[in-house]
Amino acid sequence: MAADRAAVVGLALFAALVAIAVVGPLLTADPLARDLDHGLTARGAPLGPSAGALLGTDPLGRDVWARLVAGAGTSLSIAAGATTLALVLGLAVGVVAGYRGGWVDGVLMRTVDLTLAFPALLLAILVAAVLRETSLATSRAPVVLVLALVSWGLIARMIRAKAMSVARSPHVLAARALGASPRRIVMRHVLPQLVGVITIAAVATFAQVLLNESALSFLGLGPPPPAPTWGRMLYEGRAYYRSAPHLVIAPGLAIVVAVAAVHLIAQGLRSSVEEPR
Amino acid sequence: MMRVWMVVAVLAFACDPPDRGPRWRAAGNASPQPGGTLHLATKDTVKTLDPSIAYDEHSFLPVHAMFDTLVDYAPGSTELVPRLAERWEASSDGRTLRFWLRPGLVYADGTPIVAHDIITSLERALTTADSPFGPMLVELEGAQAVLDGKAAHLAGALAPSERELVLHLVRPNAAFLHVLAMPFTTPQRAEHVRAAGEDLRRRPLASGPYQLAAWDEGQALVLVRNPHHADPARGRIERIELREQLSRETQFLMFERGELDAVERPSHPDLLWVTSQPAWAPYVKTQPGLNVYGARMNVRVRPFDDRRVRQALNYGLDKDHTVKLLAGTAVPAHGMLPPGVAGRDDALAAYPYDPDKARALLAEAGYPRGLDLDFVTIADEEAEKLAAAMHGDFAAIGVRLHVSVVSFSTWVSVVGKPDGPPLSFASWIADAPDPASFYDLRFHSRAISGDSSTNDSFYANPALDGVLDAARGEPDPAARAALYRRAERILYDDAPWIWNYHQAMVDVIQPYVRDYAPHPVWGRDYTGAWLDLDAHGERVSW
Repeated sequence: MAADRAAVVGLALFAALVAIAVVGPLLTADPLARDLDHGLTARGAPLGPSAGALLGTDPLGRDVWARLVAGAGTSLSIAAGATTLALVLGLAVGVVAGYRGGWVDGVLMRTVDLTLAFPALLLAILVAAVLRETSLATSRAPVVLVLALVSWGLIARMIRAKAMSVARSPHVLAARALGASPRRIVMRHVLPQLVGVITIAAVATFAQVLLNESALSFLGLGPPPPAPTWGRMLYEGRAYYRSAPHLVIAPGLAIVVAVAAVHLIAQGLRSSVEEPR
Repeated sequence: MMRVWMVVAVLAFACDPPDRGPRWRAAGNASPQPGGTLHLATKDTVKTLDPSIAYDEHSFLPVHAMFDTLVDYAPGSTELVPRLAERWEASSDGRTLRFWLRPGLVYADGTPIVAHDIITSLERALTTADSPFGPMLVELEGAQAVLDGKAAHLAGALAPSERELVLHLVRPNAAFLHVLAMPFTTPQRAEHVRAAGEDLRRRPLASGPYQLAAWDEGQALVLVRNPHHADPARGRIERIELREQLSRETQFLMFERGELDAVERPSHPDLLWVTSQPAWAPYVKTQPGLNVYGARMNVRVRPFDDRRVRQALNYGLDKDHTVKLLAGTAVPAHGMLPPGVAGRDDALAAYPYDPDKARALLAEAGYPRGLDLDFVTIADEEAEKLAAAMHGDFAAIGVRLHVSVVSFSTWVSVVGKPDGPPLSFASWIADAPDPASFYDLRFHSRAISGDSSTNDSFYANPALDGVLDAARGEPDPAARAALYRRAERILYDDAPWIWNYHQAMVDVIQPYVRDYAPHPVWGRDYTGAWLDLDAHGERVSW
């Protein structure tokens, strides 16, 4: 029951975030507009929260609230894209490995082990650096790709485990005995059994991707500036932790809230799948 | 529940930091006290302690503390005062300078300092491959021949006795005394130079208030008082420890913890914080440096051949934005000379921000609909920020600025070419607090050459040339300053640069560091400072 309540809270928070990301940009100031005349003190310090700028301004006089809202859109859409990509890859690998077993399973799972054994952040830095030289560099594509690449392995492993047990279940054995093709068995009998684990994997991955995206942006490997992302805002504001603490508190809290919301949802889902009533 | 309260307590503590004023105070001694250890740091390494080669700001700190010169600058000013020389005389034609050394001068090893040791230094500057100083001596008779390898000894420098030095100049030059204040002209004993050989960069023979005690290269350098130094007003602090390669952020944190006694140039966030704390205000020390920043234009290339365009761009740049972006460390510039340099007309103000006037001038010049300009700047956080600000300011006067960023070395190699970028970032850091050091290489028509003009505005004006030539030879300081004020006015009106700002040096010191301010020429000069500690040599807490 507690898990359900948590999931409801998580869903509400997440819905609010999505709403802010979608509707917010229409209501806030331009997140890229510098205002050296009114957005800074006479000495050039960022302004604290005020009626004009809800969360104050950054060192270039830009509106922090507007940037936070724009960053929500950036972060959520990147996380959604990367999660989808990781899910497609992880699902394909997981189902094939789990259903076929044998050497196919061996090869695929060792590949997964490899990607999981490699430090995720290091891999991300490597891929981002490689893509930096290409024409993709100015888009969000490198970030999405990197985040998907470091995330699909866990999904594949989760799905493979479930697919393996499903493949040995009586109704799949029965379908096989009746001469159904592997394709039909997977589509009709295996996949529907995997919906629960896929959902959990998707939500858990989404949370992890959100965090990883912030880390990448903090390291300067996220979407290129001046695009506002929470990780980059945190990075740019970190030196102002004393003179303008809102520059770190605002994006930091945003990351915490978003990741917590998704985790709460994942927790609720897990308990509802694992403890059938 | 317990956990919740712990979180609340941590948050409350984080949101309400304790008072962060200085943790120590001055003990309150009425007169300067000798002794104590001063802890400093640099963000880079000290490259060399060879005075003939050291030319970077990090090496200058120990070099200036160890090497005295014939003349020096008074504390906190650009006024020349005698140092090793007790007096000097210029001949009536201004071409011969005669110096008398103080009696009883000795090096840190107790051996006497003689006039010929200064000639050794001048010749080393001219013959040492790594020395950047040789070209500064070409006003000395015979220097060019030594520089070109045609002569072994400097014909224009003579030491008639152990305490007498005579220098013959090619032409009268009132600015030459400033060259003799630079550390590379410090006396160097020829035997020591020979004996040290390759090791000279870490085996300095000090003539100043401090000498080298230890140097773990890249880590820390330690200076101690030179016991043979005669002037009691310099070198009061017993020991100076200089930690190397500490980032500005790290330095500031160490400074707050009391591990450093002073920091230079805090990062903007730290600076904004410390200047917002009234308790720290008396210990933030600011001094404009010998520099000027802005943008240069090639005045021979359209549209910059039209003075109205150049003036319009000066009116179109909002210097308030610069001051803000540089966290208050910038002083708006109206010309080349920073405050404190003789010949600067302090009554003249920077071009005011006046977009209407700028648009009117552009329209008059034939650009009623504005124009597109390419602007080349260097890959540097501050320069790029300022270029973005300029982009915004110029948009308001109809000038569409297209900014491109190049490396510092590319920028250096292209700006002096006649067909290089007509509009680019410009900076000038002078060697001496003398107007000649700001003008002659930048705006005299002689400084225009085919491929790498230091006069990269390609500005040639016989009227200005005449004023600069007259000023260089003018022995009377007041008359000379008046001439340079005329030069400044000519350049102000002709506007071959978009003048933006002079960058100030900012140091923050602990309250017990007394009689210190960044020196306009030397920057961090602690030779006159002292530590106000209690009777046991300890710091006193608030």
